[in-house]
Amino acid sequence: MTTPAAPPSAPWDELRDADGRPRPAAHELLAVIDHLGLEELRARQAAATADILTLGITFTVYSEAGGIDRAWPFDVIPRVIEATEWAAVERGLTQRLVALNRFIDDVYNDQRVIADGVFPAELLADSANFRSECRGIHPKFGVWAHISGSDLVRDADGTLYVLEDNLRVPSGVSYVLENRAVAKRAFPELFARQSIEPVDAYTDELNRLLVSLAPDGVGLPSIAVLTPGVFNSAYFEHSFLAQRMGATLVEGGDLVVGEGDRVFMRTIDGLEPVDVIYRRIDDLFLDPEAFRPDSLLGVRGLMRAWKSGTVSIANAPGAGVADDKVVYAWVPDLIRYYCGEEPLIPNVPTFRCLYDEERRFVLDNLRDLVVKPANESGGYGIMIGNRATDAQIAQAAEAIEADPRNWAAQPILQLSTAPTLTADGVEPRHVDLRPFILTGETSYVTAGGLTRVALSKGSLIVNSSQGGGSKDTWIVDLGAGWGTY
Amino acid sequence: MLLSRVADRIYWAARYIERAEDTARIVLTHGYLNADLPGAAASPWEPLVAITGSEFLESANGRQQQQQQQQQESAVASESELAVARFLVTDGLNPSSVVSCITNSRENLRTTRDTVPDEGWNTVNDLYLYLATEADRGSDRRVRQRLLSRVISDSRRLDGVLAVAMTHDEAYVMWRLGRALERADMTTRVLGVRAAAVLSLRAGSNNGPEEPELHDEVQWMGVLRSVTALQMYQRAARSPIEGPLVVQFLLEHDRFPRSVRALLREIRRALRELTDPDGPLDAVDEVEAVLRQSSTATEHGADGSQLDEAMDALQNAIARLDRRIAERYLRVGP
Repeated sequence: MTTPAAPPSAPWDELRDADGRPRPAAHELLAVIDHLGLEELRARQAAATADILTLGITFTVYSEAGGIDRAWPFDVIPRVIEATEWAAVERGLTQRLVALNRFIDDVYNDQRVIADGVFPAELLADSANFRSECRGIHPKFGVWAHISGSDLVRDADGTLYVLEDNLRVPSGVSYVLENRAVAKRAFPELFARQSIEPVDAYTDELNRLLVSLAPDGVGLPSIAVLTPGVFNSAYFEHSFLAQRMGATLVEGGDLVVGEGDRVFMRTIDGLEPVDVIYRRIDDLFLDPEAFRPDSLLGVRGLMRAWKSGTVSIANAPGAGVADDKVVYAWVPDLIRYYCGEEPLIPNVPTFRCLYDEERRFVLDNLRDLVVKPANESGGYGIMIGNRATDAQIAQAAEAIEADPRNWAAQPILQLSTAPTLTADGVEPRHVDLRPFILTGETSYVTAGGLTRVALSKGSLIVNSSQGGGSKDTWIVDLGAGWGTY
Repeated sequence: MLLSRVADRIYWAARYIERAEDTARIVLTHGYLNADLPGAAASPWEPLVAITGSEFLESANGRQQQQQQQQQESAVASESELAVARFLVTDGLNPSSVVSCITNSRENLRTTRDTVPDEGWNTVNDLYLYLATEADRGSDRRVRQRLLSRVISDSRRLDGVLAVAMTHDEAYVMWRLGRALERADMTTRVLGVRAAAVLSLRAGSNNGPEEPELHDEVQWMGVLRSVTALQMYQRAARSPIEGPLVVQFLLEHDRFPRSVRALLREIRRALRELTDPDGPLDAVDEVEAVLRQSSTATEHGADGSQLDEAMDALQNAIARLDRRIAERYLRVGP
């Protein structure tokens, strides 16, 4: 058990070191930005924003008047990561997703992880994301979470942590590709003189993965991307991915489960079979027959078809069992258990109040910790120790003592910053990073990922629906010989 | 492979963009026509509303804006011109206005981006963004002319983009069908309203010495221009403009791409590229039968109300064809 470091005064900056000098991978970028000056930088930002409008790169915001299509918020200054560091992150994410997938396959089948005393049975019983309908199913390659996005944050000492895993319907990858398209227009000189890893291959890799999931005996599978529809906040992405893969974008109403428990699309020439579905609808809305009977988004009988093996679904129903806050705390143990290796990327240290020793530590250090209920999402019930009143601290302590299993605590991280163009000039703003990981017979990690940035000063909220922006993320290879222009 | 839902969206994207283009041309050419006519002979604006099959409903908000604009611009435009132009071009509450049609067409192409090439989407999205910034100034005649010209040229650009960038598969056939059907419908509407009005003008005059000059040829030129047919008419007719010949040209010419006859041929050709088109093809036969009757009835000159009636019958037959296409190809569900 390590003691969390006291929060240091200054956050880590992604492009400059503590003395304000450019980090090696950011050297070229910062030189160009300095050379351009603020006015030219603003002109390039304006051109990028105009590109986003005309290309129709949007996301949808819910409102009382229905969905509103908004231009995607983009900051023109990219975030840069050196290729050697990224190679290590790729290995770590691959390892993590292999372990998580083995865990999912295990809990729906033999449950060795419980029998061996690594994961507590009662936690699985409590899990809101465990789908008993999935017991006994073996998807191809034993993989359930084919497409995932893990959020990474960097603390003040420069360590990258996994903050959470998204194994259900993670979104954002289309913006990784579109941000690059916009950035290439904004900084053509930089792409010409350094080696920046391309990101465009993602949709091809995704296509390859989905093809590999086809039920046995299917030659060239018919692939559909299942969207909740045009009002979904990620509709742009669903459409984008279908287009880039040549897949068919379908809504629930376009599909029907027919003869032989097969899934069909309704076409102008009648019913045509579907072999692989990349679904972007949550489990509970997938099939009114199996889950929520009031769902209008799903397809009646889809679970039946999936279980009978006539159609593959990515991500598999039930994959979400491994991405809740409870399981998160066990991921390092799961990596050791399933892979026989030490985790290559650390979790944010998480103290599980279920265990006496960890609970005692939490109760003694409430001021320095974030306390989170295990089964709530969306930030509900979170207590941030250094901002809490004495009464709130006492209240948290009481809640933990009353129901230790429902509480976990983490040190307060200082999110890293990156230079960002603001009304007041170029200023540091907090960022996180969501790389996307494809897992099938083999694994693939995006070169970089989606960097989200909190646009208001001091803010930690990076969500695009709440005023967050995004940046292109450059994996720069200094060994490629282009660095010394 | 084409989803019925996607087929429906593409068919309607095509109909909306064609309606926008045709409405834009009608409004644009009407302005030019009136510029040529002395005040007393000016062609009224209100009947244009009937062409789009709309009822003239104005929101209170719209009326207020209109009053403000009139105070600023009373010197350049009449009250009815402003009101009609706003209703047909920029009124978001009129589902058939140019702006509404472009908005709908864009939405349909946005939701079929896995099928329609990006360049096509970019074209209509560009136009949409342009209208969003310019529509407010649409009561200024010069702004309006520029805006309407842009709608017409971008609509054609979109056709060109799809013709050379999109696989000519069932999805493209849906586009062609939507375009041709809407275009045929608009030609009959121009004849039923504008041409009928010119004929009635003539019938109502006694040709006495007090009568202001009617400027028949100018009026008929206006009708032809509103369906971009003047030059091709003249090339085909090789004679001074005559009303009955104009009507025949727009109904029966089998090579002019806006005449009803040629459009029915295009619709037939498109349908034959789809599977099991018998139902819709029967409906095309019915439209052709009505077209023959209309042509016969108007061949040797007809008065305005006869022409209007004949065109109504043709529009109804086209609407039945639209229903048959929808039943066969566009309906989602069992």
